[in-house]
Amino acid sequence: MTFLILSQILNGLGLGMLYALVGVGLTLILGVLNIPNFAHGVLYALGAYFAYSIAKMTGSFYFAIFLSPLLVVLVGFLLESQGVRRLYQAHHDYQLLFLFACALIIQEIIIIIWGPIGFSLLPPPSLSGALDLGILIYPKYRLVLICFAFFMIICLYLFLTKTNLGAILRAGIENRDMVKVLGINVNIVFLYTFGLGAYLAGLAGALSAPIMGLTPSMGLDILPICFVVVVIAGLGSIPGAIVAGILIGLSQGAATIWFPEATNVVIYLMMGLTIIFRPQGLFGVR
Amino acid sequence: MNKYTIICLIIFILLGPFLLPNATITEMLIFGIVAISTNIMLGYTGMLSFGQALFFGTSAYISGLILLAGFPIFLAIPIATLGSFLISLFVGYFCVKREGLYFICLTFAFNQMFYFIAYVWTEVTGGEDGLVGITRPEFIDTQFSFYVFISILFLTSLYLMYKIITSPLGLIFKLIRENPSRAEAIGYNVRFFKLVSFSIASTFTGLAGSLYVLIHSMVPIDQIHWLKSGDIIFMTLFGGVGNFLGPLIGVVGYIWLSDTFSIIWARWPLIMGVIFAIIVLYFRGGVSELLENLVKKSQSYFKKNKDEKYIKN
Repeated sequence: MTFLILSQILNGLGLGMLYALVGVGLTLILGVLNIPNFAHGVLYALGAYFAYSIAKMTGSFYFAIFLSPLLVVLVGFLLESQGVRRLYQAHHDYQLLFLFACALIIQEIIIIIWGPIGFSLLPPPSLSGALDLGILIYPKYRLVLICFAFFMIICLYLFLTKTNLGAILRAGIENRDMVKVLGINVNIVFLYTFGLGAYLAGLAGALSAPIMGLTPSMGLDILPICFVVVVIAGLGSIPGAIVAGILIGLSQGAATIWFPEATNVVIYLMMGLTIIFRPQGLFGVR
Repeated sequence: MNKYTIICLIIFILLGPFLLPNATITEMLIFGIVAISTNIMLGYTGMLSFGQALFFGTSAYISGLILLAGFPIFLAIPIATLGSFLISLFVGYFCVKREGLYFICLTFAFNQMFYFIAYVWTEVTGGEDGLVGITRPEFIDTQFSFYVFISILFLTSLYLMYKIITSPLGLIFKLIRENPSRAEAIGYNVRFFKLVSFSIASTFTGLAGSLYVLIHSMVPIDQIHWLKSGDIIFMTLFGGVGNFLGPLIGVVGYIWLSDTFSIIWARWPLIMGVIFAIIVLYFRGGVSELLENLVKKSQSYFKKNKDEKYIKN
């Protein structure tokens, strides 16, 4: 039983790290750009599919993990500069509809290119197999994933708190108009923010591929989870998104032990509890 | 609504069954209720909810279950509608506390919460297969009687919604859309009226959901999936939110287009996505505004011709 609980906690932690990465990406886009990014899920899916194709072509898993999020960033830049940018003045309904349309288009393009059947991407030989931790034996890739995602979150935190651009992004979440007044070119800030959000989504997608496999609907499945992360965190809170993501992952892991059929419902249960007891979200101020 | 739009509506309802297959035209009327009621919330009150499939789907499940249990349809429809009203009060209570993006996030997440309840609770809802084996009652067994039944309910709910929009309540909704802080200052409880608007929209959506069961004699699980909410928003915006009957044009256009494309190409959502994007980027007012502009232009054109005639004479 301890073995089961420990391994499920680790599983949940891994999942939670992925949720935190996508959730932070969405938080940035929602907070800075103030648009409901319904294309976030398909960016995640694109990250996984790009990683699959690159790994197949070059044979290097590491290179795939490196390159595929960057390709997703290009897609993100394209979306922002060609479509979203024209809609900042419009109502949320049109922004939502446009991004929803983009999600449909990318989703169908994925099916056209890669086919409707799912794939699995195997981790490289150096990361496959299991590691004996003393009390339990655990897949190596999942351990590396937890460490790597943790490392990325630390990097992101340092970027947001220590660099100039990070400060501008945080200021943009707090008060967008003030950033404009201070003479900062918001168009570029918005572009970079969308790119960073897309990068995080693509990275999470690529990292998730060896664990959860690739299916065309993966983008549609992750999207509600991203939004739940944002709701639990409190809109616009980056540390909140990290905590909420990990919390959801862990509770899913716990649910797998006792109620394996309810793993998806648990996410929404957490959300329900949050909005009953703390309507502004865990870290929300507004 | 002026008399031309009423005439157009009557012509549409009379000619519809001859031009389109029965399942398509009834689906159009049912989603017409959904889109017009969504417009009360979206267009008139200015609240964008991304969770209308929740009420549509839940009500479809309730009415399907009551029909499967052998109760008559006159019990199933009111109970399902009442059910979606109660759920809308519950969900709305939490959602209307928030505005803008947070409201969208919350309604979206609630939608998916109910989807997963339907997905997991297989003994009751049939899970992924949906609810099957529902039979239509005898008196609406033929295509003609079914169409008459649906169109009577359609016109009744249209009349009710029109009454709501033109009543003082409708004016309060518009006030909240235009200037919520002024509404608050005048003494209206904005949150309460937002909840009223939300439940009116959701109750009519629920009514439509309870009727939807009868078309294909089943409840597929995608009727409660968030993609359906996206479709509902699109139908409403496609027609144009500035107009009471505008969303109906959107519904007819959307269902006709998706039916046509789905025969031609299995990847038809791609085409729909491209159409969505083009409309958002270039024709933001939707079809009804496009038509209004055309009418205005042609009127001014004819007027100009008349003026020129006068000058010549």
